[in-house]
Amino acid sequence: MSTKEKIKKILVEELNLEDITPEEIMDDAPLFGDGLGLDSLDAVELVVLVQKHFGVEIKDMDEGRPALQSVDSLAAFIEAKSRL
Amino acid sequence: MTLGRSVAVTGAGCLCAAGANLQASLKALFSGIRIPAPPSLFRTSHSLSHPVFEVPESFFPQELPAENDALRTARLAIAAAGEAFADAGWRSADLASLRVGVVIGTTVGSAMNNEGFYREFRCGGDPDMAPIRRFLRSNPAAAVARHFGLNGPLQTVVNACSSGSDAIGIAAQWLEDGICDLALAGGADELCRTTCNGFISLMISANEAVRPFDRCRRGLNLGEGAGLLVLESPSLEQLRPGRVRARLAGYGAACDAYHLTAPHPQGTGLKRALAEALGCVEPEAIAFVNAHGTGTPDNDRVESIVLAEMLPGIPFHSTKGFTGHTLGAAGGIEAAFTVACLGMGKIPASIGCDETDPELPAAPVRHVTATPGRFAVSQSLAFGGNNAVLLFEKGERS
Amino acid sequence: MKAAGIRGVGLVGSFGCGTGALENSLRKGPKPPEDLVFFVSGRERRIPVHAVDTSPLDNFVSKREIRRIDHFSRMALLGAFLALEDSGLTDASRDSLGLIIATGYGAIRTTFAFLDSVLVDGDSFASPTLFSNSVHNAAAAHVAIQLKITGPSLTVSQFEMSVSSALLTALRWLDQGRVERVLFGGVDEVCSVIGYCHERFFGDSGGRIQPFAANRHTAVAGEGAAFFLLDRQEESRYGLITEVRQGRITKAVPFPEKGSYIINADGHPGCFSLYRQLFRPEAEVAAFANHYGSFPSGQSFDLAIAALALRNGIFPSISGQEEMPKGWRYPGVVGKKGITCLKCDGEGYLGAIGLKGG
Repeated sequence: MSTKEKIKKILVEELNLEDITPEEIMDDAPLFGDGLGLDSLDAVELVVLVQKHFGVEIKDMDEGRPALQSVDSLAAFIEAKSRL
Repeated sequence: MTLGRSVAVTGAGCLCAAGANLQASLKALFSGIRIPAPPSLFRTSHSLSHPVFEVPESFFPQELPAENDALRTARLAIAAAGEAFADAGWRSADLASLRVGVVIGTTVGSAMNNEGFYREFRCGGDPDMAPIRRFLRSNPAAAVARHFGLNGPLQTVVNACSSGSDAIGIAAQWLEDGICDLALAGGADELCRTTCNGFISLMISANEAVRPFDRCRRGLNLGEGAGLLVLESPSLEQLRPGRVRARLAGYGAACDAYHLTAPHPQGTGLKRALAEALGCVEPEAIAFVNAHGTGTPDNDRVESIVLAEMLPGIPFHSTKGFTGHTLGAAGGIEAAFTVACLGMGKIPASIGCDETDPELPAAPVRHVTATPGRFAVSQSLAFGGNNAVLLFEKGERS
Repeated sequence: MKAAGIRGVGLVGSFGCGTGALENSLRKGPKPPEDLVFFVSGRERRIPVHAVDTSPLDNFVSKREIRRIDHFSRMALLGAFLALEDSGLTDASRDSLGLIIATGYGAIRTTFAFLDSVLVDGDSFASPTLFSNSVHNAAAAHVAIQLKITGPSLTVSQFEMSVSSALLTALRWLDQGRVERVLFGGVDEVCSVIGYCHERFFGDSGGRIQPFAANRHTAVAGEGAAFFLLDRQEESRYGLITEVRQGRITKAVPFPEKGSYIINADGHPGCFSLYRQLFRPEAEVAAFANHYGSFPSGQSFDLAIAALALRNGIFPSISGQEEMPKGWRYPGVVGKKGITCLKCDGEGYLGAIGLKGG
């Protein structure tokens, strides 16, 4: 499973997005606001989930905010961090 | 709501990291001393250290040793209650003939979250029941009533971080309606590993000393303590003239109905609660505001917006730089500070605000500030969108 | 003090969802409890509990809106929706509506689920969603958000006295004109830790609450939410709450009085002995905890049964309860003196809620 596919699966399963399937999530759709409709509490939950599933730490929201824009940006962040 | 016949505050007690009692705490506040430190009561495995404001063992009264059968929250509440009763000039024996209600806000003090017990249980063990018994004996209102032999109605308010303020407002309503003659009201809360982990997981716990309203504020520091007021009904108060430190002149509460953890960005609930508490009192009559001022980016922004709009130019400060965020106790501790500062006619510098935030429309006082005036406001915001605001009026014993 | 009218009742219990389901249970006898399974010292334990199904909540809110809402808050939300619907005031303004929730233990499943997140993976894997749902006022927050209630919101946790204590404040709010209406509810949930506590403290309950058993523990843990829409109307089909008292049982609290009583006797002989001390031999007493279970805010269900009895003019004819203490009798027609819901706790406190026909 690619990083993006794994992220989508985590979004749906761990954030209980029962009204959408992983395949329906667009790579570049905004995670927050009008896109996937997530909010600030989902953001901090995602920080824990990223650490749990990818072993990648998001130190604070200065680092988290740009990473958590979309599936694309999160996958890029995780892959960049994993290479370190 | 503006209280019809304002309820008298005849005593105040407080115990927090700033001091063992109200007077000692005020001394620390006005001298600008604060001592956040890594927790000694428990350990966590986070990569960064998150300082807290712990109450040292030496701050507890000698006659109140640590007991195995009660939570620390109950012990904190009993210590502050003892001070408040003494300040009001009430002895236990005199209280026996009165209907004394107890209304106390808390979070940890009513949570069945003993980690040791649960760790053993979830691994299929057969844990000892002592932690559960301790929890069941430690409901703050009940523990205080048991300790002092009080017979009136009890209410433990669990409105998260506005609990202490709500408790005081509710107690005043009880007194106005004659449900009791006297009420002990405020908040109590202990530091707890579980809460610590919770706030760190929400990424609103700072890994440095808290900086309320500062441009670079990075979150709150947790604290612990208790703050309680003795409130008296109009008929009881008249029997002992000259005892009134302050009067509770208003209480407002409203819910944002917006988000589980975030305040409404425009502070709709806070505005409504503040307006309700102020009633007919003009903004010019307000000497100062003790803001919630937790040091989280969102909280401080919302408070600043609301204060700039509704109480422009009125000095405000946060005392959480001295006490940490004591959660359910905060409203009680800050009410005690507000009553005392109103009497002294000055407020301490809002410690931690080294550089004002240009994005905020109002900034707290950064020096000890004279605050003449009859009224003062103490406000609390909470998880769940709760907002509670208390309005105090100066009393004759100031 | 003015009385508060009960305009709507919303119930979620092991008997089902709605007042009709409770009346059905009262008529036909309580449903047997389910088994809650957990492990102690490697051995499987089965404890009977009265558990709740919240799936009817799907009729009121989308799955998306409740994706982060736990079982505890779902029960509260469902009770709140049902009470509002029952009142017929669904379209009335929520500006001057207050919200008060009474709970003994709060969202304990989530409290322990949060500890799981820490104990399984370590402190840095603590779940912020579980943490924020574990605070006692999470249910009030979710109810306020979903029902757009912007008045004051209060959650009270006074163990067994939670309902009477919280109601004391609800009546103040109405009486002082602070709000036009109060949505008031009691809610508690059961979980394996509660099951374990019951077993350790009380031993085998026998699987059936016998409210009038004087010498045996028959408490079966339960859960549920009972909500009420209260206002200041002096006419109400469910009757009026005329008085609430709460405090230590002393000579200053004169009991017994007159009228009929619903006692929250839920299988604890220690508390039952207090009821026996309080009543005259000829008292009219009923108890119904065998229909919903034993939990701290269970008195809210007695309040609902009293409201239904006032609406019907007669107490439910029940089946499945054992004999009462000598001299006590089961009430029939609701008299002018009304009904008092009474709860005593192990610490010697009582909470009394007086109701009369409206």
